[in-house]
Amino acid sequence: MSQSLRPYLQAVRSSLTAALCLSNFASQTAERHNVPEVEARTSPEVLLTPLTIARNENERVLIEPSINSIRISIKIKQADEIEHILVHKFTRFLTQRAESFFILRRKPIKGYDISFLITNFHTEEMLKNKLVDFIIEFMEEVDKEISEMKLFLNARARFVAESFLTPFD
Amino acid sequence: MSIIQQITADDLTDNWRRINIDALDPDSSLNFPTSSLHPPQPEISESDCRNLSSAVRQLLRGGDAEGALRTCLENPVYNGPDGVKEQHLGTVVEVLQSIKASEMSPLLKRVYEGEGGVELLDCLMKYLYKGMGSPGAGSGGVKVMTPQTTGFSQIGGGRNISSGDSTGSAMSVLLSWHEKVVEVAGLGCIGRVMTDFRRV
Amino acid sequence: MLLLDYQNVLIQSVLTERFSGAPPVSIDQTVSDFDGVIFHISTPDVKTKIVISIQIRCYKDLVRYGAEEVLNREYGPYVIPPEPGYDFSIQVDLENLPESKEDREELVKKISLLKRNAMAGPFEQAYQEHYHLKQEAAKFTSEEAPQGVREGGEVKAIHYREEEAIYVKASHDRVTVIFSTVFREETDRVFGKVFIQEFVDARRRAIQNAPQVLFRNDPPLELQDVPGVKNTGTGDIGYVTFVLFPRHLTPQRMPDVISHIQTFRDYFHYHIKASKAYIHTRMRRRTADFLQGKQLLFIAYIVKLAANQCAVLRRARPENEEKERKTASGRTFKVGS
Repeated sequence: MSQSLRPYLQAVRSSLTAALCLSNFASQTAERHNVPEVEARTSPEVLLTPLTIARNENERVLIEPSINSIRISIKIKQADEIEHILVHKFTRFLTQRAESFFILRRKPIKGYDISFLITNFHTEEMLKNKLVDFIIEFMEEVDKEISEMKLFLNARARFVAESFLTPFD
Repeated sequence: MSIIQQITADDLTDNWRRINIDALDPDSSLNFPTSSLHPPQPEISESDCRNLSSAVRQLLRGGDAEGALRTCLENPVYNGPDGVKEQHLGTVVEVLQSIKASEMSPLLKRVYEGEGGVELLDCLMKYLYKGMGSPGAGSGGVKVMTPQTTGFSQIGGGRNISSGDSTGSAMSVLLSWHEKVVEVAGLGCIGRVMTDFRRV
Repeated sequence: MLLLDYQNVLIQSVLTERFSGAPPVSIDQTVSDFDGVIFHISTPDVKTKIVISIQIRCYKDLVRYGAEEVLNREYGPYVIPPEPGYDFSIQVDLENLPESKEDREELVKKISLLKRNAMAGPFEQAYQEHYHLKQEAAKFTSEEAPQGVREGGEVKAIHYREEEAIYVKASHDRVTVIFSTVFREETDRVFGKVFIQEFVDARRRAIQNAPQVLFRNDPPLELQDVPGVKNTGTGDIGYVTFVLFPRHLTPQRMPDVISHIQTFRDYFHYHIKASKAYIHTRMRRRTADFLQGKQLLFIAYIVKLAANQCAVLRRARPENEEKERKTASGRTFKVGS
């Protein structure tokens, strides 16, 4: 694990743990409705200060807490075009299966690659520390997967090129 | 909050459908005055901020890092134009970068145990998050990120080395401060940052 | 399968079967090959006379650069006037086959290389031109060589696909082969760059004697005055240049080099697609892994969900359980998951 990845994930972990403090809160604008306030944005007093954790300008996490829901958006490292394409494809795979992931948001918010929405109903059903673990693990895995795929692509390209050129030798 | 929530150039004719009529109702929850959630804050002008920053630099030059940090955090800019807020953030980040990693924890402990220490560390935490949130913090880096072209020698000229390294190192300073502050002041510190409506 | 075959495997297998002495049957088969090439194998008159016709988009280009000489040389006694709708036809009489088994195999091989031989015309011409220019150039020092010798021959353009072309140009010290290739989508373009970079680097790293490979998004200098080549500026057309050096240009190596370089475009795109497919499968699997983890997390830590609801969830994923089924006679057997 590289030098600054550990403090980064640690900061995300502690911020998430602090932010995952949700309670049931019925909508103030529509009777008998119960909506994630962070999405509805109808009551400014229940929207808390958003927190940004960044490792550098290409890798950051935005946590938007509110009284009954938090939205976590992740910007995954994309150092070049290949990684950009791989991240795009991978997040598409994930978001298209959003309902199986329970907490995955179908569409990332602007400027990020993937977003999660955790409501009080999720925290009631799942253990909070496991949810935090899942997000952290997710971030680690995605990074690892993207760089592995990139390495694979380069290795394959090298092999293909050399096999084509060898008969000329 | 804007009355018209979304505008796109080609559906101006449909705009009236997008008017959020709740925003026009003074009794709507949308118009809750968030300023009532905290006591009124003194407005800080640019010259105040500049004086403060030169005082802090004075302390730093004198080797009193703790004093410099305290001075910064005792006078946060809660109420003022964005430029002044950024300027003060710059001062805080400068102080943070000048403190060695080995001195962080003892220094934080002293501040925490001193008078109003909890308040000060909460304020420090606010600046840490703000610092990470603004991409140019401390190094004047590039704000918009574009994916670099693949390291491909024959296409598209030279490889564009972004300022990622310098911002990266600024961020890692903030990240290690974040870790230390959580160690000293606990998770409650983050909780108070979120719930405090006095935003830096 | 890493490298592509030069011959058409389908034609090869059909003819091998026919030539092996099986009773003659009537054939009417259309066979497709790379680059929109279509073959037609048929027995129009009698079952013993097999006609093989080929249709190539760029046949006109090929004829201009000497394809007919090559084809006549290769298939001389078998050539017949082209079948309507096709560009070139040959006819093999099953009752008049070569005697020995080896010769028959040789003939099958030759016929299945029909596309390769048709495309080889311009390349062979370029080789000849190169030999000629080399001789000419030997008479002069590099400064005082006349214009024609220094610049080399004209650029031969083969528009073998709708938007893509091969350009061949001979000079006294090299033969340059340029492929223009279109990337249909962003992913292909980026993957293509990765692959091409390795082609470019391979010479520096591992295979010193390989042809030099160059890549650019705008037409190379050689193609400046060639009609139909324009700089779109969008970067979706790439130009891959192979520079064949004298060591590749010896008459002994000519057939192999020509066969091999023809397959470049298809080889290149084939491997881009293959990598894409692999990465898709891999992502799919990883997504499933995440899903599994998430599901376990959900099922294992349910606090509020009652036990019966758990059962509902488990039932929702029946494929993981081994089922026991009964046959009509009452015996049981297991259905694997």
